[in-house]
Amino acid sequence: MVRKIVNSVITLFLVIIVNFVLFRMMPGNPVNVMVPSDPRIPSEYKEKIIAEYGLNDPMYVQFVRYIGDALSFDFGNSFSNINTPAMQIVLENLKWTLLLAGSSSVLMIIIGVTIGVLSAWKRGGLFDTGSLTFSLFFYAMPTFWFAMMLVVFFSMEWKVFPPDSALSYGTKFAFSVHSIVDLLRHLVLPVISLTLGTIAEFVLIMRSSLVDVMTEEYIVTARAKGLSEMQVLRGHAVPNAMMPMVALIAITLAFVVGGVFQTEYVFNYPGIGWLTIEATYSLDYPILQAAFFLIAVVVIIANLIADITLIYIDPRVRLA
Amino acid sequence: MSITEDPTRGESVGDAPSSKRLLGLSEATSGRLRLLVKKARSTWKIFRANRMGMAGLALLLAFFMMAIFAGQIMWILAHIAGWSSSYGPFDRVAVVGQGTAPSEQHWLGTDIWGYDILARTIYGSRVSLLVGLVATAVSMGLGTAVGLFSGYWGGWKDEVLMRVTDVFLVLPWLVLMIVLATLLPGGPSVTKVIFVIGITGWSSTARMVRAQVMSVKERTFVERARAIGAADYHIVRKHVFPNVFPLVFANSILTVALSILSESTLSFINLGPNPTQVVTWGNMLEDAVNGHAILNGLYLWIIVPGMCIVLVVLGFTFVGYALDEIFNPKLRRR
Repeated sequence: MVRKIVNSVITLFLVIIVNFVLFRMMPGNPVNVMVPSDPRIPSEYKEKIIAEYGLNDPMYVQFVRYIGDALSFDFGNSFSNINTPAMQIVLENLKWTLLLAGSSSVLMIIIGVTIGVLSAWKRGGLFDTGSLTFSLFFYAMPTFWFAMMLVVFFSMEWKVFPPDSALSYGTKFAFSVHSIVDLLRHLVLPVISLTLGTIAEFVLIMRSSLVDVMTEEYIVTARAKGLSEMQVLRGHAVPNAMMPMVALIAITLAFVVGGVFQTEYVFNYPGIGWLTIEATYSLDYPILQAAFFLIAVVVIIANLIADITLIYIDPRVRLA
Repeated sequence: MSITEDPTRGESVGDAPSSKRLLGLSEATSGRLRLLVKKARSTWKIFRANRMGMAGLALLLAFFMMAIFAGQIMWILAHIAGWSSSYGPFDRVAVVGQGTAPSEQHWLGTDIWGYDILARTIYGSRVSLLVGLVATAVSMGLGTAVGLFSGYWGGWKDEVLMRVTDVFLVLPWLVLMIVLATLLPGGPSVTKVIFVIGITGWSSTARMVRAQVMSVKERTFVERARAIGAADYHIVRKHVFPNVFPLVFANSILTVALSILSESTLSFINLGPNPTQVVTWGNMLEDAVNGHAILNGLYLWIIVPGMCIVLVVLGFTFVGYALDEIFNPKLRRR
């Protein structure tokens, strides 16, 4: 366990280095990398940036200062919104991402695990073939394209749900019935897009993991001692099949984050993904850096939690 | 097969003295070649029985034909349908500013830049497939190299490489690709997209190869080779790599699917090659969003390239799964 924590800290540190290297050491003058050569940016501002970041200092001085800044989550002010720290903007957008990703993750896990269990249980049956086809089809589909299809049908043709943003234009969220309904109406399509766009991973992993478990001898033993199929599944098969699921959280998380980015972009949903992609257009490097760093930290912590959970629930890992 | 035998080497080559030499090659080489052909044939036999794999293969063949003969297909279509001429992907065949609905001349209509959607879709297969294949080659090469090195030599080298691999494994690939594509110097181009996808996609391959290498290197045939004084390089090249390769191969086909998806996503968010110079399905969709295809009701502009992506990715996924079932020892056991 100590080893896992140490590894996570090392990974985090490497991410900080990658972040530094990417943004400072790209070929060409670091000043040009930090400040895009855009004529609209006044030269005094450029000077200010250089002074503020000490871009003319030796690289190692910059590096030490950078680590200090990164650990205190300070990535400077946004270029396009000059008086606001980048991290503050990112954190403001984070709440929308958490709402979207959180609600779809719950759906994804419930639906994905159920489908996976049912299809592995009757492997080769009609349901299995059907669900496998369904999963592979959605696996092959770009999430952004699926999102666009949802907009085409549900917003344009049938006009059931709004096509973009998180709330009606010009309104702010308030704890009123009207506002909550509005929020939910705007949430429906993005949640469907993200859930179906990423669910295939869950189904496929769960299915193959359970298929694996079903061939183990303790399942035969469980059946032999007269347990019902339901008891075998609930008591023996599913708990064991869940472990690879927890272990593979890194991979599934990557898919969820990828799905979030694409979904937010298509629906103009004001979360981190949308913000990051917008930042690539305006070359808003502080925002990019802050978002990249925050996502990395969250994902690394999530993985660490998954690893530690695994130690508690899986005796094989504990003893190894 | 006993466990002391290296499965990739089969029966020892010298055992077939009466064999004809192939293509005037030396005895050993032609024997090895014959073995390879035999292996390929038996793999094909299993593969042929797999319905999903065959469906995928058919899909892929169709799309590769489309990519290779894009010009000819348009020419033939033009003759059959009696179009005034055959259209290329960059020929402006209609007024710029508003797309047109499907017609006799333009089966799928034209987009708002005046391009023929059918021509763009057919030609788009070229770069989409190319990026998928080359990016996969890059990431597989990198991943296999790291995995072999790390798994075989172990120790602190392994430790260092695995920490680096972790970084790439943990960071969501799309975020890394976006940051890289934005920061790399030079405008958007096909090379850049290939590089970005290749450099972000190797980590899981490295993990998989490393695990496989670690199990292979404990097997007796490696020990035997070492006992008779084989050098590390020789062992890796002749014994370890051939035993890892089938798995890498099956996996790389699945990776092509992911690379094609990545290319389309990158292009879609305006980080791919410029749609006025290069056409891919991804940047057709980018064009469609920038040209407000949904508001203008030009649904085919979105549906057709999207369906192409889905079908190609499905094709690669089907073939990949089928091969995985053949080559992956864990799956074969059942």
